[in-house]
Amino acid sequence: MSQALDDRSESIRMIRDSAGAVAPRDGDTKRVRALRFVEPGFSRDVFAEMGALGWIGLAAPEAAGGSGLGMSEAVALTEELGAGLAPEPLIPAMLSARLLAAAEDKALLGGLLDGSKVVLTAWQEKADSIAVPGTGDAPRMFIPQAGGADAFLLPVREGNRIALVALEAAGSDLVLEKTMDGGFVGTLRADLSRGSRIADDVGAVVEQAIDEAALATAGHMLGLMEKAFELTLGYLKTRQQFGRIIGTFQSLQHRAADLKIHVSLTRAAVESAAAVLDDGATGAVRQAAVSKAKHRAVESGMYVLRQCIQLHGGIGYTDEYDVGLYLRRGMVIMNQYGAAALHRRRFMALAPEDVE
Amino acid sequence: MAVSIAPKETADLSAMEDEAFRAHVRQWIEANYPSELRNPPKRLHWDENKPWYFKLAEKGWLCPGWPRQFGGLGLAPAKQIIFTEEVERHGCARTNDHGIVMVGPLLINHGTDAQQQEFLPKILNGEHVWCQGYSEPNAGSDLAALRTEAVLDGDDYVVNGQKIWTTLASDANWCFLLVRTDKNAKKQEGISFLLVDMATPGITVKPIINLEYHDEFCEVFFDNVRVPAKNLVGTPNRGWDMAKALLSFERIYLGSPRLSAYAFARLRQLAERMGVWEEATFQDTYGRLRLDLEDLKSLYGTFVDKLRRGETLGADVSMLKVFQTELFQRITDTMLEIAGENAGLLEPMEGNRNLNPTGQYIQARPATIYGGSNEIQRNILSKNVLGLPG
Repeated sequence: MSQALDDRSESIRMIRDSAGAVAPRDGDTKRVRALRFVEPGFSRDVFAEMGALGWIGLAAPEAAGGSGLGMSEAVALTEELGAGLAPEPLIPAMLSARLLAAAEDKALLGGLLDGSKVVLTAWQEKADSIAVPGTGDAPRMFIPQAGGADAFLLPVREGNRIALVALEAAGSDLVLEKTMDGGFVGTLRADLSRGSRIADDVGAVVEQAIDEAALATAGHMLGLMEKAFELTLGYLKTRQQFGRIIGTFQSLQHRAADLKIHVSLTRAAVESAAAVLDDGATGAVRQAAVSKAKHRAVESGMYVLRQCIQLHGGIGYTDEYDVGLYLRRGMVIMNQYGAAALHRRRFMALAPEDVE
Repeated sequence: MAVSIAPKETADLSAMEDEAFRAHVRQWIEANYPSELRNPPKRLHWDENKPWYFKLAEKGWLCPGWPRQFGGLGLAPAKQIIFTEEVERHGCARTNDHGIVMVGPLLINHGTDAQQQEFLPKILNGEHVWCQGYSEPNAGSDLAALRTEAVLDGDDYVVNGQKIWTTLASDANWCFLLVRTDKNAKKQEGISFLLVDMATPGITVKPIINLEYHDEFCEVFFDNVRVPAKNLVGTPNRGWDMAKALLSFERIYLGSPRLSAYAFARLRQLAERMGVWEEATFQDTYGRLRLDLEDLKSLYGTFVDKLRRGETLGADVSMLKVFQTELFQRITDTMLEIAGENAGLLEPMEGNRNLNPTGQYIQARPATIYGGSNEIQRNILSKNVLGLPG
């Protein structure tokens, strides 16, 4: 038991260390800033590096070419990448890898896992929903960083089942919109006759994969809030007004203490949910754990991020100063894979109460 | 070790598997705890909770964390946590436990053999009921400013001054007291720890009626009270660090989700009774509180895991006290908001103690004040955890 725990914390530590290759620990945002609003909004080279490091297949089984690790490692990784503001669509790629592994599609999966091909899943048909109706002719919306995709995966309903169709990105009707953080989301109007059907029924897998993406996104939010809070603490310890370091003012100290509590609550919620998934939970227990974590990450994350702007004063409202980058990214991811209210409702519907 | 007290419990609880131990503890508590005292709305007095104290004492389970040679159970942290979880799960009232959680550990770590021999057995048999003489009228949050003075006169210290907010002092026959023994030193460096018999001439106890109309707290006056010098614990003028170490117990205890969890379950019963349970606005509020409670449990779990691994908790445990007590208040605030005119009733609604919005609301008020106010906890977090400047 404790040996297993030690191994686990060791693999998590190694994942965190390796994240430094892409998300520099010193908080250098030059790379991130240079990619803003330049299509596709991320670096293909860095995406390939993520593949080479085994991150895209982090949770995919080793037999399918993945690393066979779990959600505890995945949230540690997405936290580090959130802290480093990496714009690469790693979480959507992990989702696609999950589907391709289930479909046993070796060709597409191989290219995705090694990072040479960007495969994104076009599952979403309306805003503020994590449902996958699989409507054949419905435009697929809010595909993160879609301009960089080589291929799309589309869940398509056939009777009671959800088949999976793969489609070349080249020649597709794809419309991009800019996002607040300098990235892009795409709306795809797919011509399914151009695609190839690669699995008969991925209905259950796609639901699980979206939950994993929601939890990984909660990890990304945790990274954003940690780093923005670190910057803010640094500012409170150096900025002077009225002849004093502003961090000596008690109202600001108490605000900082509250932000610390929210960061800690989020870490506890995210890491405990990852442990629930790694213990093999299924069904309602698994979904409730994910909803609990995503809800906390959004509620506490956005509170911390906007307070970090406030505590910086005017400089926090400039594009030049880095703290705003974390708020912008938070705005983009907060409602991806389900807003706080959606997850709160789902948690309440799923989780039995422990009434004495 | 010169002192040895035979442990009462002879079964080797340490050798049991965790889940078997949990079942064993649960079964015994259910069979022996008085059902009418589960989840009491007020802190119980000694005459109400002593039957339970003596049951535990007789079983040898009074002091799960004390070493066996001092009459405790000598349980490892993981089993102590299980024990506490079961006590809380059943809603057992807190006893007059200052001897168990404060004086015992203090003497085991810092007491002389004679002090250990004299006092520990009397905690275990319930002969001594202790109270904690810390706060003073002008030394509350700023505890180190305390001025109750002890001056050496022959073999005795002579104590003069006043303590306040002394929990259940009217029940106690002994008091562990922080006193100033050096008025010229820096304020933290002139404080000593004295053990005082409450029957000593010159001590007056006056209960304070609080917002619950309850007399849980007292004022204690000391007028030329003679305390034998052998009752000083540790080194003279070095009492502050020992006092602070004992307070860390309170911060994890007060951060336990049990008060919030109990109130939350009552909130649902109240909402159903008031007919607002199905309302969307209530459901949203309820959902937020529910997730706050669940996430508090997750955070609490991370601290409990540290204890289980035998680690010492740092100053960051203050987070739990802040969040738990403020959640407890938000839950009970919501009770009043939905209770209609029942929000003004003194007694539980319809004679049903599960429908007691006012009792819960009032009980939640001091939670953000006692055990170091939440403002002090935030000071601790900002200075000791976040490193913000003075």
